[in-house]
Amino acid sequence: MKKILSLILMIAAVSSCDILEPEPFTALDANNAVVSGASAQTVLRGAYAAMQHPDYYGIEYICNNDLIADNAIYQGFFDSQLELDQMAVPFANLWVNNAWFRIYRVISIANLLIAQVPDLEDPNLSDTARNRILGQAYAIRALAHFDLLRYFGEHYDAGSSFGIPLVTEPILGEIPDITRASVADTYSLIMGDIQEAESKLQGFNDVGAMNYWALISLRSRVNLYRKNYTAAFNDANTVIGSGRFSLVGDLVGVLYSTSTSAETIFDLEFNDQDQSSFNVFLIRRDEYNVDSRLLAAFEPGDRRRELFDFLRNANRCFKYPDGTGADNAKIFRLAELLLIRSEAAAMAQQDPNAGLDDLNLIRQRAGLAPLTGFSTMDEFVAALLQERRIELSYEGHRFFDLVRFNKIQEVLGINENFRRILPIPRDELQVSDVLVQNPGYETL
Amino acid sequence: MKNYLLIIACLCFVMSSQLRAQSRSVSGTVTSEQERTPVPGVNVVLKGTVTGTVTDLDGRFQLSVPESGGTLVFSFLGFVTEEVFIGTQSVINMVMTADIRQLSEVVVVGYGEQNRRDLTGSVASVKGDDINKLPVASMDAALQGRAAGVLVTTPSGTPGAGINIQVRGLTSLSASSQPLFVIDGVPMIQEDLSGLFSGGQATNSLADINPADIASIEILKDASATAIYGSRGANGVVLITTKRGQTGKAKIDFNAYYGMQDVTKRIDMMNSGDFLRLMDEAAAQDNRFLGRNYPDNYVSDIWGFDPDDPDLQNTRWYNEIFRPAPIQSYDLSVSGGSDVARYFASGSYFKQDGVQPGTGFERLSGRINLDAKVNNWIDVGTSMMLSRTVQDRTINDNSLYGVVINTLAGDPLMPVYEADGSYADPFDYFGWWMLDNPLLIANEYQRFTNTTRGLATAFAELKLAKGLTFKSTASIDYTQLDDEAYTPSISREAGNRNVKGFGVYGNTQDFTWLAENFVTYSTKFGERHSLNAVAGTSFQQSTRNFVSINAEEFPNDEFLKLAVAANVTSASTSATQWGIASYFARVNYGFDDKYLFTFTARADGSSRFGADRRYGFFPSGSFAWRLGDEVFLRDIDVLSDAKLRVSYGVTGNQDGIGNFASRGLFSATAAYRQQPAFVPSQLPNPLLTWESTEQFNIGLDVGFANDRITFTADYFVSNTKDLLLNRLVRGLSGFKVLTDNIGSVENRGLELAANAVILTGDFRWSTSANISWIRNTVKKLEVDEQVLSDSHILAEGHPIGTFFLIDQEGVDPETGNIRWVDLNEDGAINSGDRRIVGNALPDFFGGFNNSFSYKGFDMTVFFQFTVGNTIFNHSRASYENLGWSRIGTGFPLPDGNNWTGAENRWREPGDVTDIPRASLENVNWREYSSRWLEDGSFLRLKNINLGYTFPNALVERMGLQSLRVYLQGQNLLTFTKYTGLDPEVNQNARDPRVAGSDFGTHPQLKSVSLGFNIGL
Repeated sequence: MKKILSLILMIAAVSSCDILEPEPFTALDANNAVVSGASAQTVLRGAYAAMQHPDYYGIEYICNNDLIADNAIYQGFFDSQLELDQMAVPFANLWVNNAWFRIYRVISIANLLIAQVPDLEDPNLSDTARNRILGQAYAIRALAHFDLLRYFGEHYDAGSSFGIPLVTEPILGEIPDITRASVADTYSLIMGDIQEAESKLQGFNDVGAMNYWALISLRSRVNLYRKNYTAAFNDANTVIGSGRFSLVGDLVGVLYSTSTSAETIFDLEFNDQDQSSFNVFLIRRDEYNVDSRLLAAFEPGDRRRELFDFLRNANRCFKYPDGTGADNAKIFRLAELLLIRSEAAAMAQQDPNAGLDDLNLIRQRAGLAPLTGFSTMDEFVAALLQERRIELSYEGHRFFDLVRFNKIQEVLGINENFRRILPIPRDELQVSDVLVQNPGYETL
Repeated sequence: MKNYLLIIACLCFVMSSQLRAQSRSVSGTVTSEQERTPVPGVNVVLKGTVTGTVTDLDGRFQLSVPESGGTLVFSFLGFVTEEVFIGTQSVINMVMTADIRQLSEVVVVGYGEQNRRDLTGSVASVKGDDINKLPVASMDAALQGRAAGVLVTTPSGTPGAGINIQVRGLTSLSASSQPLFVIDGVPMIQEDLSGLFSGGQATNSLADINPADIASIEILKDASATAIYGSRGANGVVLITTKRGQTGKAKIDFNAYYGMQDVTKRIDMMNSGDFLRLMDEAAAQDNRFLGRNYPDNYVSDIWGFDPDDPDLQNTRWYNEIFRPAPIQSYDLSVSGGSDVARYFASGSYFKQDGVQPGTGFERLSGRINLDAKVNNWIDVGTSMMLSRTVQDRTINDNSLYGVVINTLAGDPLMPVYEADGSYADPFDYFGWWMLDNPLLIANEYQRFTNTTRGLATAFAELKLAKGLTFKSTASIDYTQLDDEAYTPSISREAGNRNVKGFGVYGNTQDFTWLAENFVTYSTKFGERHSLNAVAGTSFQQSTRNFVSINAEEFPNDEFLKLAVAANVTSASTSATQWGIASYFARVNYGFDDKYLFTFTARADGSSRFGADRRYGFFPSGSFAWRLGDEVFLRDIDVLSDAKLRVSYGVTGNQDGIGNFASRGLFSATAAYRQQPAFVPSQLPNPLLTWESTEQFNIGLDVGFANDRITFTADYFVSNTKDLLLNRLVRGLSGFKVLTDNIGSVENRGLELAANAVILTGDFRWSTSANISWIRNTVKKLEVDEQVLSDSHILAEGHPIGTFFLIDQEGVDPETGNIRWVDLNEDGAINSGDRRIVGNALPDFFGGFNNSFSYKGFDMTVFFQFTVGNTIFNHSRASYENLGWSRIGTGFPLPDGNNWTGAENRWREPGDVTDIPRASLENVNWREYSSRWLEDGSFLRLKNINLGYTFPNALVERMGLQSLRVYLQGQNLLTFTKYTGLDPEVNQNARDPRVAGSDFGTHPQLKSVSLGFNIGL
């Protein structure tokens, strides 16, 4: 009997500690994420992986821009895209609500690196490597804040108080309630981060990452949006003048293939095991079919027209042709920088012909005859917008361009000026006490 | 129960010596009415004398009676006592019927058994007999309509698909409101372990169990009954007890049925001529109302058809994808035993062919249950089951390449096959909706989920002292599940990816162990006190491993195995783990057999919660007053029993959240440029703890006329709080949600159940019925009015599964257009105009069963009903397109054909109808609108079974013990106003919050089968 009792006690005493402390097999505790140079590199790659999300550069951030504008039309299943196509975006729009936090997730990873990498003790981490991690973190943070500002803040108005909430610290416990910064403060954070990154990224030329030239390109683009044309011109000039990049002659076979090309400044890279969604949505589905107005805008003989074809009852864009989803997202490429330099030159000097050469470089690459000159700034702007539209279609620029030039009513027929930007997401307003909606959207 | 009977039978057999004072002999056989098997041990006594005998193992008796005869009294525990006047008969065969005094039955409860008369909680019982032979794949389907308060819904007719069970309403907003299933004491792994995408339907891990092995099912409903399962009892507990051997001669049973199934309904679609006429009318209406300028016969001319051409292609798509298919089951069991060892062994084969090609379900299973007496104080035993299931699947529901979804508006002008035998391509015809030929998807895609499941328990029970026993059990629940799928090169899906076919292999291996030890002490003291106490521990841990491999470029479409693929695109393995440590106790105290008290408590620790909030404590108490035994009621003859029950308790839930939900995590599964990446995947919540449900129950059990009529009523209120739910957090954290304890949900309900034996004698008629009203209300949310999807909302004051849609007020008789409700009065109809328009939960539901028997014939007729739920018939949005061409007006290309119901469309001013006018443009079509809402109420003839039991004499001549043949119909009649395929439908079977949508879901099946039960 005693034996049995001791047996019972033994069984009852089986320690329950083990079964209550299982290890997550495919994840690690957040506190242990950045503990060495190698793990910091892995977290940095996580920032790029987070940028790859379909809500961000995986497709939607880019193609929704063309959808809102006159490049793409919705003929598919998702109401979210329908609302964008019609530019009647409620604050409950699915993509608006998801893109917001997806972009902030990229910022949160950058913040973790910015906070922890400087003090990381790792003898195997060289100063150069440490600087490149930090430089990319700052550059990514700048890019992500700018991307938020372009959709959700009044980026075109330097005096506006409707910037975006700026997050510069890693959020580990309680989530702070952060009010919207002014547009000027948003820009100054972005410019500060770019400046912070500039020295750290010197000599870093990897076109699959936020390299030095991508950083300078970002600053050029930001300054263009701010109408700081001289600064935009100078940075574009630096990148173009570096001689590292050249326009690609073969559009179908090289430029719009799954690899980076001589024109690439920064591609967010994808492969068949880490897929982008462009091909699925543009070719297999009907979310971003081609607007007939875009096709009508092509001049005869334009080789870029070859990137469009009629398939399964719809005009489709073949800039992302890979069936295995290995198409990269083109974040910065030389053609954009040429167009920036063209625009910045003309606008800075108020000379309609100051940017003609750059514009013609793009035209001639597409097999079109060079333009001979413009008599007015309006003519130049029309030609610039036409060229940007054709060259950068389905790469996420058209709507922003029309906003920058205040042409959404004229071109898109959007009469309500507040629709130049999107609403702050409903989900975010529901959990914030300090966030205010963009003017015009409050009552919708 | 039966064990006792047989032991007594044996004892009696040994002692069967009797006085023989008279000269005449009477003999006969006693059989049970229900099982048609001999009943040993029945007392056969000559009335008014001490002359008597008992039946032997074969149910036979022989007795000397006076020449003058007299009356024989047959009596046996558990059966109704019968009297027969002997007269001049020398052979008297008696068919005894089970005593319907349900209140005296033994009920399995957690960690023990109780007499029903002593129960203080609310427990529903379903006998194995009621479900063993139903033509369904799994026992959960068989529970439909059988027990009050238990809502069983079959989300689709997909063979082998998961079934939803709600015991007393939806308690949880996270994924699981399913009850805990415990088979022979082992809490089962009951999730869908398949990783294969097949649409909205889950696989059913309960289908691994052979329903014919089940002896009884108990459903624990109130907190008093479920609290012994503590943290896992909040959704109710279903206790399954499998059959065990009984002392006595070996009993061999062979049961088989074979039947044909078909869908309960097909959508009646227009023929090609009517479809063309509708399209032409759409153009004509647009001329009239939109100022368009289409010529006559605009569409049919463009398409190149004459609507009146008698030779038009006229494909009946629903007839192509659904065809009658067989269902069959064979089940052999052997059981028996001696004083020291008893056994039950069974083998079964079940096969359900798919009514839709590409689907099917097959199960091979075996079971051995053993009990042995080691010595006078140690008993040991095992329950072991091994099964293999193969589920043949297709994609369905709201999926691009689902079979039914592509059929919805199938163009009748399109053939299934071209003249050369190849599959016709929908892009060569006139339906926008169809993406690929549904027959190609059904026939040429290959998708299989193969499961091997082993469930084994070993136990030892030690009698330590008088009334004191110790039981130790060790159990394993092991599942090995393979998913294999191949998408053929001829499919559009593969074509779009520009690959020659692609395949996926997935493997999920779940290993769960359980160790339980408990002592039971039972005693009586004084004159009037009885006590039964249980205390013990339970530890359970589950480890799950996953494998997933994708490959593409196959040599041809004959292959499924990835070895032949030229390119493996991804391969990965993964794993997860959880554990629960539990301590429980229960005390039953009875005073004077009239005042019964039960106190239960369980403490559970879960690996899923934060270290400081890991343990939860779940107590309950209940009281029952056996009113009927009180002096003041005892003399009311008609009232044979009355008991009042009251209970209150707390139970918990930890399902539906991740295994590591409390921790802040960086996922290591991401990559950038084929190098590993850490991405934040989860915010930490160290305060995360149990979801808990407080439930109050008051119930009354009464019996009349010696319990020929019994009646049970229960009223309950349950409040679930600290719901495990994703809480919206500020997105600037990089996250949208965090798993947290927030909000509360209330369920209130009234359940009534009644049983009555209406007629006895040669013609017997008994009936049972149950009905339940359950009100579900979301009481509190962190953020109110959460829009969950394009069709659903979660809002305080409304039930889970509430529809939130753009609303309309019918068709304007003057214009033929729908009158949309511009809720925000902004002049535009869009998602800003959505409002709450109904919900997917029924007002009340239940079932009623009638059993008849006359001599050898028996019949049961079982109806089931659900009333008051709304269905969002999303499918109709496709096949009631009325000509709208969503690619614009350049070329008329509607979604496809329309159903014949669209003939009632508006045509001329003054027409009063609820279907708007035809148009090539989008005037009236709004996908997420109340236009597609329908009443989902139905009454269904769930099962009708007509059987004949051959007389013993004849059967014995055939060398058998018993023989019954039967004809059975399942789902033969459905009465409903729902216009879709079947009102029992749920496109999102996995998430109750968005329940009640019908969108390309495989409909329910009906079947007729012929079967027999043979006793050897």
